[in-house]
Amino acid sequence: MTQIVPFWGCMIPLRYPHIEMAIRKTLANLQMELVEDLPFTCCPDPIYFKARDQFDWLVIAARNLALAEERNLPLLTVCSGCTSTLKEARFLLNEDENLKDRVNTQLKKINREYKGTVNVEHAVVYLRDVLGYDAIQDSIQKRIENLRVAIHYGCHLLKPSQIMHVDDADYPQLLSDLVKMTGAIPVTHEEQLLCCGKGCIDDLIPYEMTSDIFDSVKEAKADCLGLICPTCFSSFDLGQKIIERKLNKKHEIPVIYYFQLLGLAQGLSPEEVGLDQHKIPMKGILD
Amino acid sequence: MSDKSTEVNFEFRQRLNKIIGGNHHNFCYQCGACVSLCPTAKYSTEFNPRTIMLMALLGLEDKLIAPDSIIWKCTNCYTCYERCPQDVRPVDVITALKNICVAEDRAPDIITRYSAGILDTGVSTPLSVAIAKRREKFGLPKFNITGYDEMKIILDREDSK
Repeated sequence: MTQIVPFWGCMIPLRYPHIEMAIRKTLANLQMELVEDLPFTCCPDPIYFKARDQFDWLVIAARNLALAEERNLPLLTVCSGCTSTLKEARFLLNEDENLKDRVNTQLKKINREYKGTVNVEHAVVYLRDVLGYDAIQDSIQKRIENLRVAIHYGCHLLKPSQIMHVDDADYPQLLSDLVKMTGAIPVTHEEQLLCCGKGCIDDLIPYEMTSDIFDSVKEAKADCLGLICPTCFSSFDLGQKIIERKLNKKHEIPVIYYFQLLGLAQGLSPEEVGLDQHKIPMKGILD
Repeated sequence: MSDKSTEVNFEFRQRLNKIIGGNHHNFCYQCGACVSLCPTAKYSTEFNPRTIMLMALLGLEDKLIAPDSIIWKCTNCYTCYERCPQDVRPVDVITALKNICVAEDRAPDIITRYSAGILDTGVSTPLSVAIAKRREKFGLPKFNITGYDEMKIILDREDSK
């Protein structure tokens, strides 16, 4: 058994618990032991809360990092927002001694310290770099046949590459490789690197972006859209209902979080990975 | 003497320099690489990260810190950060500008409303009865926020506004 500390964040456990269910079941099939008694809070979010006050944002992130550091275990994120906050906080603190001292002055009040030794990775990166593709292969029970999965990377898994160190930010390979492991066919498309738009405060722009991504997915003749971030998931699943209303366009493209896809390939049923919880149903696509 | 409108507001720039990421605006030489794949620039003719960096260099406080400032349309996608040859990190400069907007009480309501949720509970999404039930149905462990007290203590600081 490999021990890791999952950082669940807020959105998956409190809005999309079916995704948490899928992640837990697939990680168990990969013989991973979750260490879960750490008193985390929100990462906190890298857009709105960071816009409010970056020092507060950094102090809270540093506390979360320090908790995992105390156990000397890697921190596994499942949301690109949490990944962005925790990895960028680590980068900023390691880059600037003075800033680190100011942050540690705050952490001292609760007898904690951020040292800078903790490793943080999104779960999909952990699959590739630590667990390895052979271990994933060994967990596959029932390869998914004839399913074309369009790739959506989202922004915060890859960029900025000087902080994330995950893949080539212009020509990434990671998600295609991971989809291939399940038997499904990874489909790259014109807008696979376009932002889901969630961070933009505007009535229309985010939905125009998302809608263009769906057009690109349809153009590439994919059956569904595969992704790894709950914010992107919200933009694309619930987002399709909003696009219908705001832009008068109906796309009907189901969305799947990578660990749900992996779960199916490990032999779990669509309900066991929570596919029945989506606004845009997968029904008829999986037989 | 030059027209008043061309005078640089150094006071504002010094304020920006003191915020995390804000000092990087000084490195900008206006090449425009940040615009090339900026998603918001593609969808909005008004939004241009190069122009925002120029406004920061000139210290155009009134425009940047206005309640309807264009900076809030940034998606935070980090493409400009990725492209910039000067390590300006335009998205981080924009975030530093947003911090000034919040300090001046000129930010969109959603920023304070959303942040208040985290400050009051430790999580960004409230734990509703419906979700608690769904978690139980899915066989998931009870969701507890145990770090809230410590979070409150570390946010208390002498220099806070």
